Amino acid sequence: MTQHVSPPRDGTGKTAPVDGPPAWRVQLGRADVRTLTLLGVLAALVLIGGITQPDAFLDTRNLQLVLTQASVIGVVTVGMTFVIVSGGIDLSVGAIVALASVWATTVATQEYGFVGILFTAVVVGVGCGLVNGVLIAFGQMVPFIATLAMLASARGLALQITDGRTQVVTVPSVLDLGERDAYILGIPPLVLVFAAVTVIGWLVLNRTTFGRRTVAVGGNAEAARLAGIDVRRQRLYLYLLSGLCCGIAAFLLIVLAGSGQNTNGNLYELDAIAAAIIGGTLLTGGRGHILGSVLGVLIFTTITNIFALNNLQTDVQQIAKGAIIVAAVLVQRRTASTH
Amino acid sequence: MAPEPPLLSMSGITKSFPGVRALDGVDLDVQAGEVHCLLGQNGAGKSTLIKVLAGAHQPDTGTIRWRGEEVTLRSPIAAMRLGIATIYQELDLVEDLSVAENVHLGHEPTAAGFVVRGRAAKASTAQLLKRLGHPEVDPGRLVGELPAAQQQIVSMARALSHDVRLIVMDEPSAALDPDEVDNLFRIVADLTAEGVAVVYISHRLEEIRRIGDRVTVLKDGRAVAGGLPAESTPTREVVALMTGRNVEYVFPERPAGTPEGDPVLSVRGLAREGEFAPLDLEIRPGEIVGLAGLVGSGRSEILETVYGARKASAGQILVDGTPLRPGSVRAAVRAGLGLAPEERKAQALLMLESVTRNVSVSAMSRFSRGGWIDRGAELGAARAATRELSLRPDNPSAPVRTLSGGNQQKAVLARWLLRGCKVLLLDEPTRGVDVGARAELYAVVRRLADEGLAVLLVSSEVPEVLGLADRVLVLREGRVVHEAPARELDEHRVLDLVMEGSPAS
Amino acid sequence: MTNLTSRRGLLFGAAAVSAGAVLTGCTSNDPDDGEDKAADTQPAADDKPGKPVTIGYAGPQADHGWLNAVNDQAQKRAEKYSEVTLEVTEGSNDTAQQIGQIETLINKKVDVLVVLPADGKALTQVGLKAMRAGIPVINLDRIFNSPQAYRCWVGGDNYGMGLNAAHYIGEKLKDKPDARVIELAGIDNLELTQQRTQGFDDGLKNYPNIKKVARQAAEFTVESGQAKMAQLLQAQSNFDALWNHDDDQGVGALRAIEQAGRDDFLMVGGAGALSAFQAIKADSGVLKATVLYPPTMAASAIDLARALGQGKGISGLAEFEIPSTVTCYSAVVDKENVDQYMSTGFK
Repeated sequence: MTQHVSPPRDGTGKTAPVDGPPAWRVQLGRADVRTLTLLGVLAALVLIGGITQPDAFLDTRNLQLVLTQASVIGVVTVGMTFVIVSGGIDLSVGAIVALASVWATTVATQEYGFVGILFTAVVVGVGCGLVNGVLIAFGQMVPFIATLAMLASARGLALQITDGRTQVVTVPSVLDLGERDAYILGIPPLVLVFAAVTVIGWLVLNRTTFGRRTVAVGGNAEAARLAGIDVRRQRLYLYLLSGLCCGIAAFLLIVLAGSGQNTNGNLYELDAIAAAIIGGTLLTGGRGHILGSVLGVLIFTTITNIFALNNLQTDVQQIAKGAIIVAAVLVQRRTASTH
Repeated sequence: MAPEPPLLSMSGITKSFPGVRALDGVDLDVQAGEVHCLLGQNGAGKSTLIKVLAGAHQPDTGTIRWRGEEVTLRSPIAAMRLGIATIYQELDLVEDLSVAENVHLGHEPTAAGFVVRGRAAKASTAQLLKRLGHPEVDPGRLVGELPAAQQQIVSMARALSHDVRLIVMDEPSAALDPDEVDNLFRIVADLTAEGVAVVYISHRLEEIRRIGDRVTVLKDGRAVAGGLPAESTPTREVVALMTGRNVEYVFPERPAGTPEGDPVLSVRGLAREGEFAPLDLEIRPGEIVGLAGLVGSGRSEILETVYGARKASAGQILVDGTPLRPGSVRAAVRAGLGLAPEERKAQALLMLESVTRNVSVSAMSRFSRGGWIDRGAELGAARAATRELSLRPDNPSAPVRTLSGGNQQKAVLARWLLRGCKVLLLDEPTRGVDVGARAELYAVVRRLADEGLAVLLVSSEVPEVLGLADRVLVLREGRVVHEAPARELDEHRVLDLVMEGSPAS
Repeated sequence: MTNLTSRRGLLFGAAAVSAGAVLTGCTSNDPDDGEDKAADTQPAADDKPGKPVTIGYAGPQADHGWLNAVNDQAQKRAEKYSEVTLEVTEGSNDTAQQIGQIETLINKKVDVLVVLPADGKALTQVGLKAMRAGIPVINLDRIFNSPQAYRCWVGGDNYGMGLNAAHYIGEKLKDKPDARVIELAGIDNLELTQQRTQGFDDGLKNYPNIKKVARQAAEFTVESGQAKMAQLLQAQSNFDALWNHDDDQGVGALRAIEQAGRDDFLMVGGAGALSAFQAIKADSGVLKATVLYPPTMAASAIDLARALGQGKGISGLAEFEIPSTVTCYSAVVDKENVDQYMSTGFK
């Protein structure tokens, strides 16, 4: 190397060798592969269901059943996906759902009818999210610990409110939403809410500054901070969002089960994390897919459905669920490593 | 030297990571019984080289010969079996295990193949510690309870617990006080007397002169000098090799005349306890001010404090005459500051994201309404900014991790260009940038200044500061020791200032 | 048990086998129990006030309606007796805490201990300690590891629940050829769930016309009851009877049944929740009966503790001492006898 003169406006800087297809296709291709893989798994499940139980499985009622049952955990998973994308974790989602569902179904709350129940569920969810967010963003607590503490306290409070009793809902307008023939725009109300949350979640993550900041914080919090993003405030909002989703999910659960109970939302945290992970969201943050998470939820719900229709017992269901998680992550690792 | 081949001979070693070539054809010969010093700035390739030697990295090309025979160091265990031990700067000890357990970790003396013979381990550890001149260290104590200096002794005992022929020491003196350094040197002398070779890495030139036999200087992934005699090579020559250029660059022309107008950035009495003394500094639009100094002179700390990433213990920062809220990056960015940090990947880039999203992250409000991003406008703005900097490839959707170091740096600059910042803070702008792409980056920075940007530049490469900046502040141990227009300074003068603190007249 | 042919014989036979003794204080299916409707007014071993007795009572945290009812039953029963003083600890699910509470009661030198352990195995030692200190222990429901740790065990009969549910369903469907039955079980990895299912299966063997076509396990929660029942209903387009192990999850199961618009089968519950009793009494839905896991066993435990403290046996039995085990009968409550049990129903 001798003298190297470089005209100011002519970029002759060496570029790193990029093998294979252009970068945009690599990126687009990977997103497609991921979604296609999940759709493929879902299609395979539908095939299995259709072959083993042609009458019971391939039935609009069953489709409605699967989607309805996916709604509650689905809404929680959308919130969880945001938190995981930001590099955090929310272990308290199940407990928040439980607390919101019992608080919203106490005799006192039910006196205020539909609005009272909905309002209480959402406010309790957001309130718990606020506590999580403040502890994590401003108390500098590790999300794992802060939300674990919330898990314990919210479950405890839910127990205290109910004394272990089942709180049956007596407000007809709430119960009606979960009835067999309740449709809004031809869709069961729960499914409609699930779909709306999914679409809004997708738009927020992919089309708004909020979503970008979430991804930036999760991808590299230090870089985000040095780029001028208020990382702490963003974290606070994210746990609020997760709490909001839990509140909505609690209301859906009240509608679905017609009651509130302190044992509600059992192990939702694990189901939501698992669905997000098989949907392609990195547990370390920085990358996430709402659609993938929702497909993850649908895969799990469909498995449960097929197993129940075939009268297979809990043990087999759990083994299959574990196997699917491992398989999905391995497949994605393989597709992701081809960059 | 002797007709027999050197103990270790590395030749033509190259190693690339995505976006950067860390080693570019390095040669290194080490004789049995010598202390071979390895010198170089941060990022020169020293740690990559010793990781190759330790079997932790596999070189892309090049050969390694051990006692004349070609070998492949497939894993750290393979290197250890040959007799190569490495003592890393961040000691890799298990704090919750005892000294003896650490020393014998992975090769515990056992009975019947699996029962650890604790007493035998302790006895042999005690012997090793005695040999190292530290019989007072109790083999039964937990390593986490020991002071840093003793932990290093443990690390060394671990190396000696193998049949070691070559020990690599990565800045072993960094955590030691002078007495301990003396003991370290005594140990090194004992080892070499037994025929063990030592590869010694340090920033401290005086140490190298005390114990080194030969010196190899690394720069930009190349060995710019190999096997210089440690005692007789003048310090200035060594420093010049470290901080100088192995390639002559043409730096962009400085504009005629001095920049006019009020200072856009004024720093008054800014200080951080233990890092740098009160500092005054003014930069006008169109001006590039450089901070020159060695590692530890406080240059990066100053930059990060100005940016609000560290909180000042005293002083004030004004942008366009308005004081900044201290310790707030957001306030700094709002006021028009932008930082291109030293560790690009760790501190600036979102490695999973595209160029566009990396460029737009600080200016999202410019193409969003009510939080809703107009992606067309975003792409257009990012494309315009990256084109202006001639970022290659000309594809805003490319993942930023596939870019070369120089183009990654351009992506960071494009971010601030798009944000419309007034003051650009550059920390080691050409670190990890291929040699060929540097001149272009210089041109970009100068052009941005010509368009009215104020630039504060930090670099450990003296010619870079002298070539690019209009005005230079020379730092030593957190203090400005000299300030002058760049054209009135030359490399030798700056080196003297950096090392001595006063111009050697 | 080869002579079990008629339904009555079968029921009583099962009771005789499974119970060390049938107590009047413990809920029974005998309709001749007369006018006494509530547990707290049923005749006790000896109604007249005797020598004063202090009974220490340690139960778990009431995180389930049934446990709540158990604690209530014990306290109300003790209030009935003027000479009985009940020392109640704060309910805890923490083993260490419960051990501490019981040790405190031992130090207070109560006359008799009634313990419903959070974990039977883990509390065996403290039971032994009390017995060695000369304080007899009545072990309620969750059994200690060693018979030496209690003087008397009082508990429910999970196997009997299944058995009696099967018999009830069997009798209702005995004239129906190819009858189909499904089972909504509780948490699968609990031994009691396995026992209930075993009893149910064994009971159904007496009815060759009945086939169990499906079984799914819920988790004793409303949510899981709704979810699993919805799937079962989708899977089985027609069946004749359903046994649900637990009335709490039954709330969810009933919700699913309502949502599916199904009413073409009969349902039998389990445990004895108030809501189930009310539904049975109203007779407006599919729920026709429930099999008890009676919370009144706690009241009986107080009776036994009192008798023990006063050194008496139980009236109606020839023995001078109280029995060493008392297995409460898993009575079937249907429309006929629901009024009698109404006050024992838990929320």
